[in-house]
Amino acid sequence: MILLVIAAWIGLSLAEKRAERHGIHKDDLNNVIFYGLVAFILGGRISFVLQNLPTFLKSPIGIVSINPDIFDAFGGLAAALIAAFIFGQRRELALWPTLDALTPFLAILSIGMGLAHLAAGTAFGKVTDVAWGINLWSATRHPTQVYETLASLLIFGLIWFKKHDPRPGILFLTFAALTAAAQLFLQAFRGDSTLILNSLRQEQVIAWLVLAICFIFIETRFKSSPKAETDSAAIHVK
Amino acid sequence: MQKNQRIILYILLLIAGASWVALSADKTGASTSGNIPAPQVGFAAPDFSLKTPTGESYTLSELRGQAVLVNLWATWCPPCRAEMPTIEAMYQEYKDQGFVVLAIDMTYQDDPFAVVPFTEEHNLTFPILLEETGDVAALYQLRSLPSSYFIDREGIISEVVIGGPMSEALLRTRIEQILK
Repeated sequence: MILLVIAAWIGLSLAEKRAERHGIHKDDLNNVIFYGLVAFILGGRISFVLQNLPTFLKSPIGIVSINPDIFDAFGGLAAALIAAFIFGQRRELALWPTLDALTPFLAILSIGMGLAHLAAGTAFGKVTDVAWGINLWSATRHPTQVYETLASLLIFGLIWFKKHDPRPGILFLTFAALTAAAQLFLQAFRGDSTLILNSLRQEQVIAWLVLAICFIFIETRFKSSPKAETDSAAIHVK
Repeated sequence: MQKNQRIILYILLLIAGASWVALSADKTGASTSGNIPAPQVGFAAPDFSLKTPTGESYTLSELRGQAVLVNLWATWCPPCRAEMPTIEAMYQEYKDQGFVVLAIDMTYQDDPFAVVPFTEEHNLTFPILLEETGDVAALYQLRSLPSSYFIDREGIISEVVIGGPMSEALLRTRIEQILK
C-alpha cells in the first residue's frame, strides 16, 4: 500500500510537469486524480457491501468498519473511472488530451504495482529451474514481479522520452498498447493464472483484446484532425 | 509509416500475440499452486499438529472437508484480544455448518499462564492451541499478530487477513465463502 501511495505521488508530480503540454491545467489534472481516488475508495467499499448485502444487513456497522479487506478492487476501479469521466464532462475536458496528461501518472503507478507485488509476494511466477529464479512460496519461481517492474520501467522510459506527438490520444494509446503487450508476454510465466477454455490464461486473452482495441483507436486517432482537438483543449489552460 | 504498412504491422503483432497465448497455454504449471503448501491465497494450507492446554491434539489436515479459520494470536496483543469475542460469536453461529476455528497462541513469545484465564474470561469454546516452538509461526511466515487464514473444505487458503481486529461483517463474508 505504501509503495502504491509513493508511486501515486511521484506519478502525479511528473504528470503535472507535462500536463500543459497536452492542454490540460494541472489543477484539473489534480482534481481528476483526487476525485478518482476518492471514488475508488468509496466505490470499492460500496461494491463489496452490495455483493455481500445479506451479510451487511445482519451487521450494518460493518459497512463503516476500518478493515481494509472489505473492498472490491474492480468495483473501486469502475467507480474511479465514472467519477473521473463525470468530472471531465463537467469541466469540459477533452478526453484524449486528458488521458495523455494522465499517462505519466499511470505509468509510474504501474511501476509501483510491480514493486508492491514483489513486496507482498503476490502475482507470483510458475515453478522454474532458471538460474535467476527466486525462492518464493515453497518453490523456485520465475521472478514475475521483477519482470513486471522492469517492463513498467521500460514503458515509462519510452513514453517519457518519446518525442511529443501533437495528435491527442497517441501517447496514452501507446502506453496502453505497450502495457497490454507486456502483460500478454509476461503472463506466460505466472503461476497464479485463471485458466479458460481448458488451458488458455484468461489474463493473456484480455491483454490480447486490449492490444487489438488499442490498435483500432490508434488508427482512428491518426485519421482525426490533431489541430482542432489541441485547440479545443487549449481553451481550458487559460 | 503509411497506413497500409501500419495495418500489416498490427495484424502481424496480433498474430504473434495469439500464437504466444497458444504456445504458453499451460494446464499444469499455470495455476497448480493449490498443490503446494504455502501461507498464501490459492495454496494448500501448511499442515501442523498442536495441542490444547489440556493435551488434546489437533492436526489441520484431519479437518479436510470442513471450513477452517486458523487464527494466530497472543494474549499480549490488543487487536487479537479484541476480535476473539466476535470470532466466538461466529463460531457459535456457523459451527453446525462445518466451520472450525483453530486459535493458535504464540506461546513461545507469550505468557503460557495467561492463555487459559483469557479463554475462560471470554468463554471461548473453540480449540486454543499452544505453539511452543515457533515452528508453525515460521511455517506460516508470521509477520504480525493477529494473522488469520480462511481455509476452504479442500484445504486451500481462500483468504488471508493480516492485522485486526476483524469486524463481524468481514468474518461473515469470509466464513460464508469457505463454507460454500
